[in-house]
Amino acid sequence: MRIEEGKCVGCGLCISYCPVGAIQLNEDKKNNRKKKVNIDEDQCVECGVCLRAQVCKSQAIYLPELKWPRVARRAFSDPMVEHKETGVPGRGTEEMKTNEVTGRFKRGSWGMAVEVGRPGVGARLWELELIAMALAEKGVVFEPRNPVTFLFADVKTGKLKPELKNEKVLSAIIEFEVKPEQLREVLKILKDISDQVETVFSVDLISFPEEEEKGPALKIAREMGFPVYPNGKVNLGLGRVLNK
Amino acid sequence: MTHTLHRTGDIESLKEDFTMLTHVARGYNDHGAGERLKQMAEIARKYTNLNYGDCKVGNQFMMSPEEIANKHTVGWQVVFKDKESLIACMKELKEKNIGISVVVSGLFDEVFDCCKKAGINPPLVEFALGIHGNKNKIWPKEILDFVTMCGHGLVSGHLVKKMIEDITNKKISIKEAAIELAKPCLCGAFNPYRAAKLLEKLVTQ
Repeated sequence: MRIEEGKCVGCGLCISYCPVGAIQLNEDKKNNRKKKVNIDEDQCVECGVCLRAQVCKSQAIYLPELKWPRVARRAFSDPMVEHKETGVPGRGTEEMKTNEVTGRFKRGSWGMAVEVGRPGVGARLWELELIAMALAEKGVVFEPRNPVTFLFADVKTGKLKPELKNEKVLSAIIEFEVKPEQLREVLKILKDISDQVETVFSVDLISFPEEEEKGPALKIAREMGFPVYPNGKVNLGLGRVLNK
Repeated sequence: MTHTLHRTGDIESLKEDFTMLTHVARGYNDHGAGERLKQMAEIARKYTNLNYGDCKVGNQFMMSPEEIANKHTVGWQVVFKDKESLIACMKELKEKNIGISVVVSGLFDEVFDCCKKAGINPPLVEFALGIHGNKNKIWPKEILDFVTMCGHGLVSGHLVKKMIEDITNKKISIKEAAIELAKPCLCGAFNPYRAAKLLEKLVTQ
């Protein structure tokens, strides 16, 4: 997002809406009695919240044309944008939401997601690469129907397209399946890598209802020091194939 | 898109926080899904009016629910504050059997109880295994409970602080502040009823 300097009246109403704190009120260099709002382009993730808030009475905020690789910021920050690779808006993956129809996750393994930058911090894509490469080294195969997979230069190693590394996004999800024998190793990687990233990441485990409390996956997660929240998502199983 | 997972909060507060979403399965039931999604949204909205939205379109604080309902292509979200309404909605969705996937987020004990009462056997669940990495960067708990109600990260912690300040300075009511916080969350997954209760607690402390 950008601010049209000539239009900004320096009211500062847009500042608090920015999820990553990229908007600041500064002295106007040309007129030091006035203040102007400025967007730090390096920090801005192009989520569009400041524009949609409609608090700028002088309509100084605008979305410029974004080119590659900067356009990746918007794709992973503004949920109004549908990911062209998957046809899904938001972070671009159906994950477990439609599983009763697609059969994406099957009994005998677990689905996992590592959402880099969540909650409320944002992440540089090099941080995502760091985690993805560590997972790939242990044989993790990334979900093909997830837009992050299309950011990799080499999907087998998790290496990113180099021009993307410094782009900042609100969050992006690394999604994969783990076999029972892989789970401890994967959780250990995530634990070890915690100290190497500047951002945060949230971890999900997709499983079956009988797993709750008594299942092996949660037992392993708890043993490895991962908290299991008392709340989560439940697929009701009401979907079916309808396309002819 | 795991946007209704990872909501933080005390058990008592989470007991009044259920999100329901629908989502088409691309390649399986997406052809002409708009009308089906609209029918399902009309059912859900009979049981709750707290929030309703579609991240490709917007939420009910940005436009009328009727306008949102006519634009669905992938899915929608609503929020509930009580189990009775949720159970009634789940029962009707099951009975109408429209064929698009439905996911409910909330405390597992409560959601499974609702499923049982609605005669639903859920096939799959998603667990949240916590926040990792540089946790010095996350908002303190009292702010995080608001921020995590928008899984896409669009509700700014700075805005939460500003709303608390504005309520304290009597510039805005608690209800208005809760709605202002719900606006950036395009999907309609943010629970303004719960937000108002959390704000009230914070400003009276």
